Amino acid sequence: MTTTVRVPSTVADPVPSGPVRRRRQRPIGGVVGSTALWIYACAALIPLLLMVANSFRTTPSLYSDPLGLPWPLKLDSYRKAWTEGHFGEYFTNSLMVTVGAVALSTVVSTMAAYALARCRSRFFTILESVFISGLMLPIHLAILPIFYLLDGFGLVDSRLGLMLVYAASGVPFSIFVLTTFFRQLPPELEEAARIDGANSWQMFLRIMVPMVRPAVATVVVFRFVPIWNDFLFPLVLLRSREKYTVPVGLTTFFGEFSTDWSSLFAGLVIATVPLIVLFLVATKQIVAGLTAGLSK
Amino acid sequence: MSRRSGFLFVAPALLLFGIFVLYPMASALSYAFFAWQGTTRGGFVGLENFVALFTQEPFTTQLPRAFGHNIAFFVGTMLIQNTLGLGIAVLLHKRARTRRMLQTLYAMPYLVSPIVIGYLWTLLLSPTFGPVNALLRKVGLDSLALPWLGDPSTALWVVVLVSAWQWVGFPVLLYGAALGGVPEELSEAARVDGASHWQTFRSIVFPLLVPAIGTVSILTFIFAMEAFALPYALGGSTGSPAGATDFISLLFYRTAFENGSTNAIGISSAIAALLFLVIFGGAVVATRVLRRHQDRVAA
Amino acid sequence: MTNKSRRHLAALTVTSAMVALAACSPSSSGGSGGSGDAKNVTLSVYSWRTEDVAAYNAIFDVYTKAHPGTKVDFKAFKNTEYNLKLTTDLTGSKGPDVVQVRSYGQLQPTIASKSLLPLDDVVDLSKWDANVVKSAKGKADGKLYAVPLAQQTLQMYYNKDLFAKNKLTPPTTWAEFIAVNDTLKKAGVVPMAVGAKDDWTLPMLHQVLAAPRFGASAFETAVMTGKKTFNDPDWVASVDVVKQLQPYLPESVVGVAYTDAQILFTSGKAAMFPGGSFELGFFQKQNPELNMGVFQVPAPVGSPSMDPTTTGYADGAFGISAKSDAQDASKELVKWMATKEFGQLVADKVKQLSAVPGVSYSDPLLQQMSENYTKNPTPYLLLVDFRYGLPSGSVLLGTGVQEMLLGKKDAAKVSTDLQTGVSQWFKPTT
Repeated sequence: MTTTVRVPSTVADPVPSGPVRRRRQRPIGGVVGSTALWIYACAALIPLLLMVANSFRTTPSLYSDPLGLPWPLKLDSYRKAWTEGHFGEYFTNSLMVTVGAVALSTVVSTMAAYALARCRSRFFTILESVFISGLMLPIHLAILPIFYLLDGFGLVDSRLGLMLVYAASGVPFSIFVLTTFFRQLPPELEEAARIDGANSWQMFLRIMVPMVRPAVATVVVFRFVPIWNDFLFPLVLLRSREKYTVPVGLTTFFGEFSTDWSSLFAGLVIATVPLIVLFLVATKQIVAGLTAGLSK
Repeated sequence: MSRRSGFLFVAPALLLFGIFVLYPMASALSYAFFAWQGTTRGGFVGLENFVALFTQEPFTTQLPRAFGHNIAFFVGTMLIQNTLGLGIAVLLHKRARTRRMLQTLYAMPYLVSPIVIGYLWTLLLSPTFGPVNALLRKVGLDSLALPWLGDPSTALWVVVLVSAWQWVGFPVLLYGAALGGVPEELSEAARVDGASHWQTFRSIVFPLLVPAIGTVSILTFIFAMEAFALPYALGGSTGSPAGATDFISLLFYRTAFENGSTNAIGISSAIAALLFLVIFGGAVVATRVLRRHQDRVAA
Repeated sequence: MTNKSRRHLAALTVTSAMVALAACSPSSSGGSGGSGDAKNVTLSVYSWRTEDVAAYNAIFDVYTKAHPGTKVDFKAFKNTEYNLKLTTDLTGSKGPDVVQVRSYGQLQPTIASKSLLPLDDVVDLSKWDANVVKSAKGKADGKLYAVPLAQQTLQMYYNKDLFAKNKLTPPTTWAEFIAVNDTLKKAGVVPMAVGAKDDWTLPMLHQVLAAPRFGASAFETAVMTGKKTFNDPDWVASVDVVKQLQPYLPESVVGVAYTDAQILFTSGKAAMFPGGSFELGFFQKQNPELNMGVFQVPAPVGSPSMDPTTTGYADGAFGISAKSDAQDASKELVKWMATKEFGQLVADKVKQLSAVPGVSYSDPLLQQMSENYTKNPTPYLLLVDFRYGLPSGSVLLGTGVQEMLLGKKDAAKVSTDLQTGVSQWFKPTT
């Protein structure tokens, strides 16, 4: 990232005499490292795989034989979860609310982070502290005032209201991460652009934002999932069942099927699989951004 | 950048954040200074609610205990989740081909809702019906087939481990991005001079990672102090067993919504205010230290 | 346009689209909040019984057929989050009309918020059990704020087939009770299924096993008037009874969840289940083949009185939101809930004991529970009288018994902690 390199004095003269040959990259840790990585990956997945496996069994068999295999596959639980679970509706609502909230939050935060990183007056320092302070109170402690606020705006039982609350709650984290990355960019970049006659907005869009793409990607990923999985705010702020998001639907589902583990697991799988698919698709974009941002 | 354009850049975020987060938060904190009759606000009582937290049961036992658990959760998460995350990020750094696949796999648990995770692990760890203990017994490790979530000495660590399992993708991703920012030439040069991977890491990469480590640590601290969804799902609002998984946000939740006191909102808001002060104090100090280091490195 | 600008524009478009979509979505229909003209009203009813949605819909169908022009929209929310939902929705706009509310102590914050209409001149509950009516009154002003819905009794369920297989009959003395437990344990069956991980079940366990040991109703009077406290030796001994019976509970009982304990019983791995009348419907649904019975646990050795008891309490009530804009229709519905017709429907469809007097039970077990309670009633002390402040008595005992079962405290310490806790707010009425 930095074009000027500050070499610590502990490293000897880095330029070797003679022709410089590019050595082939050897991954750290070699084969042992690779094995360890894959073992952990599998271990991390086992509980989730167990969840999927158990959804294909009947509940009584889960209790009598905890380690049994899901064979033959029983699909009753999925039928029950799908027909009585209304998950299609919930999924659309979750998608609408989460995408909207994350997009809104990221856009306004990137703009604000740039200004905070580049303006060095006391006013902006104080402003930054104000934003960061938002990280320090879990927003679900303010659930009652938020409810009253939205009630005053007439935004209770509205997906827009929910989206605005989520977007606002994402601002502190996004600004926190983005200002860190913006600060690491050298001011020479903008000076060069300013000499060329670019205004702030153009500098922002054309130069700064592409440089912090990995950070933007990180912020998007780490705001998307908590918002998608939050169950407290939709519970309080939504009233009509057709507006419910997936987590609220899940909790009502849990209440009705409290010990029908197999159906519960089927519902959990239905609720999680779309998110995994979404994530896989999105990561491709994000990692493309990550690696693109690295190769300069 | 000029002040005017700076202000324009900041305005939308400020507006959104101010209305929907700052104002309600300030209201929530102000509730602590009043007496309440259910949801009707009574008179101004100054610090009475706060005093009650330090003089009345159950708070005199439960508040310090819950706070202790939050701190233990923070330490445990730093040691397990973030160290593991850093290690994985370092290992993944040069493995461009498999990196995406592995990162996605590590991030999978993170995608699942905490309620789901809670239910899942409660079933998996059930001493009567859970596959974990059944497997341990089958393999002959009977002594390890403990009631994980039923024994106060193990329950908290189960929460730490499950949380680490769920969130390890976070340090992996953040450290991965930071590692990408370490100039290739530096480590290359050290390798050419014969430094081992470990020496390269220690003298060159690690110092440059300090800002990222600082960021991750501060965020982990805040996360640990605010933890709610996972402990709620694993131990319920009372922090079963016997309060061993009690956290401050659980204390807040059951004080606000699950008891017969008519001043529930007053006292629970005092808890929220205290939590805010602790987090604010800790994070501000840490950020200042981090900022000073950042300026030094960038200069 | 650079790549990044294009992506930025895309992001902006997506944002605007999402915001527009959400803004244009229809806001809540007139369903909630009893809108409509005088002729056609829809009443919104809240409850925490997610397990009984179908049953309540059937019950309200009966009402709507008899009251054309009124529709009932019944919504249930999960028990653990119900209090939160109730608090916000009763204070916001367009809230529910008729709400299921908690009983005794947990009702007081709702009353203090002035969220409920007083019902003294809407329903007449003078012929009802006084303990039951107490559950729906305000402690401070003595007014009635809701119509109690159900009554619950606590007793010991047992598996008749397992008993027969081991040549056992319901015990009538304490020695017989211990012998029954021993026989079952030797036969490899879990004698009593208890889920101590969920601490709210433990004060109930204490009542079922040891209410006579602390003196049952006589003790209640003594404590309420200040003549005795929870440091009384009889009370301490009753708590100790639970500890003495620990060998007959599932292993690592504090790690066993309530749902696990339910499954232990319905799957036949455990022979007895100390539980409430509210479990009956669930047990029957889980395992229709299960041949169940109930009995009263005999009085432990050393009890002040050797009569067995059945513990009871009122559970849930329906009140009217003060902000409802369909108050007349709501009053009509609530009046109906105090009638025997409603009580009978609850008994038949929801399979619970109704708070309404004079209801008959087709299910023989429910009938037996009701009779047991009429013969040997005693209140669920900590729920009925000791949830009016912070800390709640039942929570103190629940976590205390957990610690006792874990070996961290003895019965005396648990009792002392209980007394210290409740004395923070409890004032005896001399």
